[in-house]
Amino acid sequence: MNEQPMNEQESLRLITEMIGKAKKSIHETGVSAMLWGSVIALCGFVTFAEMHWRFYIGFDVWVLTLLALLPQVFISIRERKQRRVLTHTQEAMNAVWLVYGLSIFALVFYFNTVTEPVTRELAGRGIRVFDNDRLRSVPIPSHGSLLLLLYGIPTLVTGIAQRFRPMKLGAVVCYACFVVSCYVTTEWDMFLNGIAGVCNWLIPGLILWQRHRAGIKAAHV
Amino acid sequence: MFKDLDPILHSQLRLAVMSLLIAVKEAEFTFLKEKTGATAGNLSVQVQKLKEAGYIEVQKQFKDNYPQTLCRVTQTGIDAFEKYVRALQGYIGK
Repeated sequence: MNEQPMNEQESLRLITEMIGKAKKSIHETGVSAMLWGSVIALCGFVTFAEMHWRFYIGFDVWVLTLLALLPQVFISIRERKQRRVLTHTQEAMNAVWLVYGLSIFALVFYFNTVTEPVTRELAGRGIRVFDNDRLRSVPIPSHGSLLLLLYGIPTLVTGIAQRFRPMKLGAVVCYACFVVSCYVTTEWDMFLNGIAGVCNWLIPGLILWQRHRAGIKAAHV
Repeated sequence: MFKDLDPILHSQLRLAVMSLLIAVKEAEFTFLKEKTGATAGNLSVQVQKLKEAGYIEVQKQFKDNYPQTLCRVTQTGIDAFEKYVRALQGYIGK
């Protein structure tokens, strides 16, 4: 870059070019999205299978969401070390996903401390809350529906803010799953959780990963 | 009457650095070097000038035992940049 005098048009062109370069240099790896998409999809589909075909794998598969925190911490530290630039959007998205993570664990805490004891109490009185025939059951909202509702929020925010269409579409699928889940039984809610995991995060994560790899290859040509 | 263009900003490399930093929250020196295509020496001098004008903050630290220089634009820098762009638009509009 030389230091020759610039006229007004050249100055504006330089500003536009540099702002464009800064924006184009941001590439998400998609690793976190793939991790959580896979975990949520696995947990949803396994729980659905357990409920539908009446078997038990020996442990609560949703424990995997806690275990997934370990690689997530590792991924976050690694990406932070590799990052050479932080945009305002990235900072805002980090805050959104942090709040989402806290909200999910708060919601699970609520399930375990409020709705589960109530369900057991009602079961003791012969009332089945989560029955195959929901018309005869007490209308307590299903856990799966509430999770679906929450999944869609950070995904749609990210999709809009990053102008990333696969995440916007994933979030739309997630909200559709939420609506459907209001009319089906709990086991199908779990199946919809699996679908949401795939559409919300796994597929967008794979697309981001491919773009990231293509970006690395292009930089080394 | 045309407004005077800020001499600190009306320089190719300094304007390029400010434009990059306006678009992000913070950036490493190596990022600025790559995007502007400037030499480390020249960039370092221009970054220092922007810092002395109060337009950017420069934070030096170590990352994995290597020195890391982080740059971010200040509110004074944002105000000056906005004023500079308005002045440019004024010239073009005339």
